Amino acid sequence: MAQKQAAKKTDKSMALPSKRSPAGKTAKSRSVLPQALWRKIGANYLLTNDSGHYAWLKEKDFALVTAGKMTERDPLFGELAAKGFVRNRLDFNDLASKWKKKNSYLYYGPSLHILVLTLRCNHKCLYCQSAAGGAGAKHTDMTAEIARKSVDLAFNSPNPAITIEFQGGEPLLNWEVLKSAAAYARKKAKITGKELQLALVSNFSLMNAEKAEFLLRHEVSICTSLDGPRALHDKNRVCASGSSYADTVKWIKYFQARHEKQVPEYRVFKPSALLTVSRYSLRSHKEIVDEYVRLGLEDIFIRPLAPIGYAKRLWDTIGYDAKDFAAFYFKSLDYILKLNKRGVVIKEKMAAMMLDKIVNFRDPGYLDARCPCGAAIGQLAYNYNGDIYTCDEGRMVGWEGDDLFRIGNVFKDGYKKLMTCPTTKVCVVSSNLEAQPACARCAYKPYCGVCPVYNYETQGSLWGNMPANDRCGLFKGIFDALFTLLRDPGKAAILKKWVAK
Amino acid sequence: MKTNEGSKKLVLDAGIYSGEAVKLAAFVFSDKADIRIVPRGKVLEVSISAEDAGRASGGSEGQNSSSIMPLLGAEFMNEVLNQQCRIDLAKKNSKIAGIIVTKALLSAAGEK
Repeated sequence: MAQKQAAKKTDKSMALPSKRSPAGKTAKSRSVLPQALWRKIGANYLLTNDSGHYAWLKEKDFALVTAGKMTERDPLFGELAAKGFVRNRLDFNDLASKWKKKNSYLYYGPSLHILVLTLRCNHKCLYCQSAAGGAGAKHTDMTAEIARKSVDLAFNSPNPAITIEFQGGEPLLNWEVLKSAAAYARKKAKITGKELQLALVSNFSLMNAEKAEFLLRHEVSICTSLDGPRALHDKNRVCASGSSYADTVKWIKYFQARHEKQVPEYRVFKPSALLTVSRYSLRSHKEIVDEYVRLGLEDIFIRPLAPIGYAKRLWDTIGYDAKDFAAFYFKSLDYILKLNKRGVVIKEKMAAMMLDKIVNFRDPGYLDARCPCGAAIGQLAYNYNGDIYTCDEGRMVGWEGDDLFRIGNVFKDGYKKLMTCPTTKVCVVSSNLEAQPACARCAYKPYCGVCPVYNYETQGSLWGNMPANDRCGLFKGIFDALFTLLRDPGKAAILKKWVAK
Repeated sequence: MKTNEGSKKLVLDAGIYSGEAVKLAAFVFSDKADIRIVPRGKVLEVSISAEDAGRASGGSEGQNSSSIMPLLGAEFMNEVLNQQCRIDLAKKNSKIAGIIVTKALLSAAGEK
């Protein structure tokens, strides 16, 4: 029964067996592949390896390669050899340096430190994952002392560059603590010499000129949510005071104007926006992208919904399956590339981060898709009450009453204890793709990552079961779209420009 | 596979499925159903029972057990297969997997 069920779900990707040259055969007559991963996309085969190289093979070439019959005279031989797919032509130094560059996060500690300044929020977004409470729930405000302790802990990370992100709820509802934490962190960065980025994620409904001025002077980068044109945005992001869209657009324009008029005293960052795709978004890919272009935003981050928090309860109304998202994602990317061709400047952020790995062998710092995942070792979430979680998603599970992902408290636990506690270890072990049966053989392993929190929430175990895992399906859809577009030389040229720096 | 109202019996070949894989799968199912594992020579007998099979399988409360229990049994078998594959993979990959995990944890803790 199990075998039958599993066979039905069998994926089109797997690992090629390593073959050894039969004694006496020369490389000229017989070439063989080292360990390689493959996936059939349409009529062709995508080959990848751990260093991050990829190559496309037609069916007949794939048959030749797997049979070990591709010779040096074959036009493809040179490309496969250069990319580390030919056993007796491996340049170990080059392959190892590419692997190391792509996985450079393995050499540092957590870079992202999320301070949940309050759970209060004046929005009631359909898909909220932040455990937002009503605007009156003042007991969920972080105190200045907890914020200071959190900043102190963040600076204990061995990572020479850290980001402190102010989140909520709506973090502007706890403005005084935000102000003191930002100023304290800047002071601390000067003393320690650490590179510090400050970031704010806000719905802008409480933004005013005075707050904006403080944020700019302290070089806080600003990010908001924009789900598309007014009707769609307001449908997803329900706001007690009426339209959330109006404030969002007003302040995006304000910060853009300030960015354009740089001053000598401080750097002003471009504001950015995040798109969360609900079922209501699926038919509006053009309208959503056009809205971003109209507002002069040069990045759009197309993020799928996760069945965590409120979204879990409303999944039948606002959720979708991986196939629907993949179709939406592909149409959006294709449309963005058409716009790029006409000279419009906009790129998709998820694609850009994946492309950085695929094209540049670089670590883009994306904590959700790496091996092991960023839980605790890449990020920490400091809750309003001082409890520390492996990540923001883990904090959300805690809010639902299950503290599995809580790893300590700012008053009780030191940095080292957080990094060596059993929860941290188990998240690292369970998100290691080399220990995940389906992932270890997947063509997208060199670029992908799993999420123990998602697995736990949706499948009941930290390991999950990838053939039946919707997040896995989402990522496969994204990679399928990207690699398909990369096959087209015109589109590949545009995509490579996105990560040319 | 035998199905009674609200329960299901599975017989697994112990040559294919290890006791460890079956126990891990049972643990994953521990909030959905009661699992009993009895080793009998070359097989492992597994009994799955759920007070509300509909809810256990993610369906609606009070759904007909006779239609749900085979599904729950199939889900359990998939989980056993998943765990067994993981154990088999660990035998081949544990060295590289261990190196990655050790490096990640040591770096995060500030150790060289």
